[in-house]
Amino acid sequence: MLREISDWLESTRLSDWFISQGVWSWPMSESLHFMGLCLLIGSVGLVDLRMLGMAKGISVEAIHKLIPFGVGGFLLNVTTGTLFVFGDADQYIFNDSFRFKLVFLLIAGINVLFFYSTGFQKVKALGPDDDMPLNVKVMAGISLACWIGVICAGRLITFYRP
Amino acid sequence: METFFIWLESSTLSLWVRGESGAHMAFPIIIVFHALGMGFLVGVAIAINGRILGVAPKIPLTLLKNFIPVAVLAFVVNAVSGILLLIGYPTKALTNPVFYIKLLCIALALWNLSWFNKAVLTNPNYDQGDLPIRLKQLAAASTILWACAIVAGRLLAYTYTTIMTF
Repeated sequence: MLREISDWLESTRLSDWFISQGVWSWPMSESLHFMGLCLLIGSVGLVDLRMLGMAKGISVEAIHKLIPFGVGGFLLNVTTGTLFVFGDADQYIFNDSFRFKLVFLLIAGINVLFFYSTGFQKVKALGPDDDMPLNVKVMAGISLACWIGVICAGRLITFYRP
Repeated sequence: METFFIWLESSTLSLWVRGESGAHMAFPIIIVFHALGMGFLVGVAIAINGRILGVAPKIPLTLLKNFIPVAVLAFVVNAVSGILLLIGYPTKALTNPVFYIKLLCIALALWNLSWFNKAVLTNPNYDQGDLPIRLKQLAAASTILWACAIVAGRLLAYTYTTIMTF
């Protein structure tokens, strides 16, 4: 099953295209992947830290304006990440560290859906010095932990090549 | 120089970093810390740069000072992990011009960040409204420097000529 998926990924035109871009396409895409990571931490990470009680005085409404940049970084990383997986599918499909990364991403995704459907409306109206409700703090902690997990598992992929 | 490389590369600490003394996870763990530190240091720096450039204008600029300890901690993590990686593979880094470009970019970007911290994040006049164009130019330049440091850092894995002298 995984064998077929991996073979299919590597037989696609996207895979051929990415590999045919020359030797610099891989390191440059990795560099973009790192920049996307920084954008994500610089927006989502800082919002999480504010929720957890750091930098009081900044309202949720004000700091939340950073989020589009984190979304931009995430989309950049989904794009470059997709290129990596199509370009060298074997290295990811059979890689335990990559699987852990996907699990962390999944939990972060479910957590963010919970946050915007339950917590965000309540905290958006809070004053700049207000403490966040416990459930929002828990969600911010899960978010931060998951993104740290994504970075750790992501960076370890290369050491768990099949 | 060769004598120095051989001495360093055969040291106990260098062997430990490379995982040759049995600690196979030492190198991956150091690398992981280096990536995490990068995320938080550059993350805080570009958030400050973005705010200076006009992003999220309702954040009082002086309050972004609260995130500076995060950047300082991240820098310490990366200085320590970076030095350990250098002790592990001194020839690989020090014989590659890209390594010096990376250090130069980081030095300039840190110099800029510490100046922002000292002179801009302390000035309540900057809390609201548009900022002077000179500060915006510096913020843009600093963001480019961090991007260059990241590219140079990533390229270290692709542009080295010699891994070890030892």
